[in-house]
Amino acid sequence: MKPRVFTAILVCKAVRGLAKLFGRGSSLPGKYALKICPDILSHLELPELSIAVTGSNGKTSTVEMIAHVLQSNGMKVAYNKEGSNQIEGVVTFLIGDANMKGKVKSEVVLLEADERYARHTFKYFHPKYFVITNLYRDQMTRNGHPEWIKSIIGQAIHDDMTLIINADDPLVSSLANNREGTIRYGAGILPGDSLRYDGIYNDGKYCPICKKPMKYEYYHYNHIGKYKCLSCGFARGTLDHSLSSTKDVNGKCFVTIDDNYEIPVFFSGIYHSYNILAAFTASVALGIEPAKVADALSGYVLKSGRISDFTLGRTEGRLLLSKHENSISYDRSIDVVVNDKRKKSVMIIVDAISRKYYTSDSSWLWDINFEKFKDAGIDKIILVGQYCDDLAIRFDLAGIDQDKVYSFENVQAAADYCKSLESFLYVITCFSDKEKILSAVTRRELA
Amino acid sequence: MSVKILYLYPDFMNLYGDNGNVRILEKRIKDQGLDVEIINRTITDFEINFNVDFVYMGSGYESNRNMVADHIYRYKTALIRAIIDGVPMLFTGNSYDLLGKGITTADGKFIEGLGIFNYSFKEQLDKRYTGDVVLEELATHERMVGFVNRAGIPDCEEDLCCKAIKVIGNVPIKKDAARIHNFFGVSLIGPVLLKNPKLADSYVELICERKGVEYKKISYPRSEKSHEKTLKALMETDA
Repeated sequence: MKPRVFTAILVCKAVRGLAKLFGRGSSLPGKYALKICPDILSHLELPELSIAVTGSNGKTSTVEMIAHVLQSNGMKVAYNKEGSNQIEGVVTFLIGDANMKGKVKSEVVLLEADERYARHTFKYFHPKYFVITNLYRDQMTRNGHPEWIKSIIGQAIHDDMTLIINADDPLVSSLANNREGTIRYGAGILPGDSLRYDGIYNDGKYCPICKKPMKYEYYHYNHIGKYKCLSCGFARGTLDHSLSSTKDVNGKCFVTIDDNYEIPVFFSGIYHSYNILAAFTASVALGIEPAKVADALSGYVLKSGRISDFTLGRTEGRLLLSKHENSISYDRSIDVVVNDKRKKSVMIIVDAISRKYYTSDSSWLWDINFEKFKDAGIDKIILVGQYCDDLAIRFDLAGIDQDKVYSFENVQAAADYCKSLESFLYVITCFSDKEKILSAVTRRELA
Repeated sequence: MSVKILYLYPDFMNLYGDNGNVRILEKRIKDQGLDVEIINRTITDFEINFNVDFVYMGSGYESNRNMVADHIYRYKTALIRAIIDGVPMLFTGNSYDLLGKGITTADGKFIEGLGIFNYSFKEQLDKRYTGDVVLEELATHERMVGFVNRAGIPDCEEDLCCKAIKVIGNVPIKKDAARIHNFFGVSLIGPVLLKNPKLADSYVELICERKGVEYKKISYPRSEKSHEKTLKALMETDA
């Protein structure tokens, strides 16, 4: 072994130990290791089974569920729990799991890979399986746009990898066009499907290969559905694993996979169902029997869950954690609110657009289908944060009755206003802003 | 009286909520007591009538913009005629690239532009040029705020009319935006008219004037607040 490899491993482990002592998980140890030995990843000895997950949404949840399935089936898994998914984070957790010779001890390496950085990470090692969940308009202030991200992910794909893709997303699917051995997952006809496109913009209107119009048999949401290009024939293709149905009976939720495996879940939202399907497909690919995968997923509640219930004064409410700069994530939360038949109000907080970087770009608000609130019997709409003016202009042009709309720059002032609403309160916001409201409410166990 | 807005390629060039500009302008024109007719035209259309009251184009994938470049080239004469006639136009994001000499794409292909301005853009796929910017128009010292998100940078600044006085992020430009007659093109993406109410006012005033109706000064306090807050935040944030 080269001395600098040894030094890199030693320093990484030492810094990691120290960081743990001070209660900090970070990708700093990996950063030091990369300084000492930039190609450290190619010197690590990885187990035969390795799998990476990327995509705009669902990475963390999918990785968490795959880890859970593998561990429940007695496998030792190394994975980036903290979600530090750029190259420094990957180095940190792999060396953390390796011995001093650089041999990773676990049987499976499972990693969440940032969609922009996978091309750098995979220069040094190739995971056996590469799961791509979806490609949305997401954090475009850093990610440019979905077609650019597709081209960047394309640079991370090597011939010796097997792709596991969400075939219902045409842009993802185009990455595996004519690629043999690809494992495809997708959904059959589901209760919430629509024959018409109902978003503000339509990223599935034209074929990602030839740019000619596509035809959809049905849409699950936004551009996710069963599509076919009328010119070049590019299509969703045959599925290896499919979501056959989702059910919500008196608050008890189930998803059925491959017509055969009925899995009780805590939440059957389409988003979450896709993540379950991705985890199912990946786990089966890794060699676990389908029935055992289904068993392990039964009733599993995500640690990185996106729902919190709370009480605020006399008002009961639920926080739907969404992502700023990601219109599809907002669209899904809006569907949850609109489909609730109770009398309800909704609060939207856009105060800091990101927790990681500064931007004042609020253009993504114009991609969100806030128009759906128009005829949804919403009691009050409360717009909150630094960007309450941008939100208010957006809501005005969505044709929403302005008498229902209240805006507050300050989150606490908005919370005080909501203490005695006569309706259930939904809060839609992002990681970057959620603590501002959660610190003003009393949390309740998920109902 | 009906005001005709020609919205160019709303399906291919609406990547960053750019449709907001058309919606904001529509609202403001209606506030003047006028009716609005929005005419959408795209790649599949064989006829584009530029004899309208306002023309808008937003930003798109580079691949979409390249297709648009081929298509709009067919209407070069009509578009130039309309600019000379003083039709108010706003092109945002990478659509204003089309009015220069051309675009060198990431794979080295040169796409001919409309040749109205003397800049040409050179693009690459390795990184994105993204960041918040404050622009100041050289002639008027009027400030604009917004976000740039593009693949290319201009090779020649001669025709560019705004100085970038603040950039937060990776946008290697010193100047941006081009103006001729009532055409204005700028790299800023998304609903530029929301955060820059004076620009919106100037278009509404122009449209009214050309229609021969009296322009009523209407204030939009939320839009003004958004501009002031953003300008202040950008000037105070470390680049």
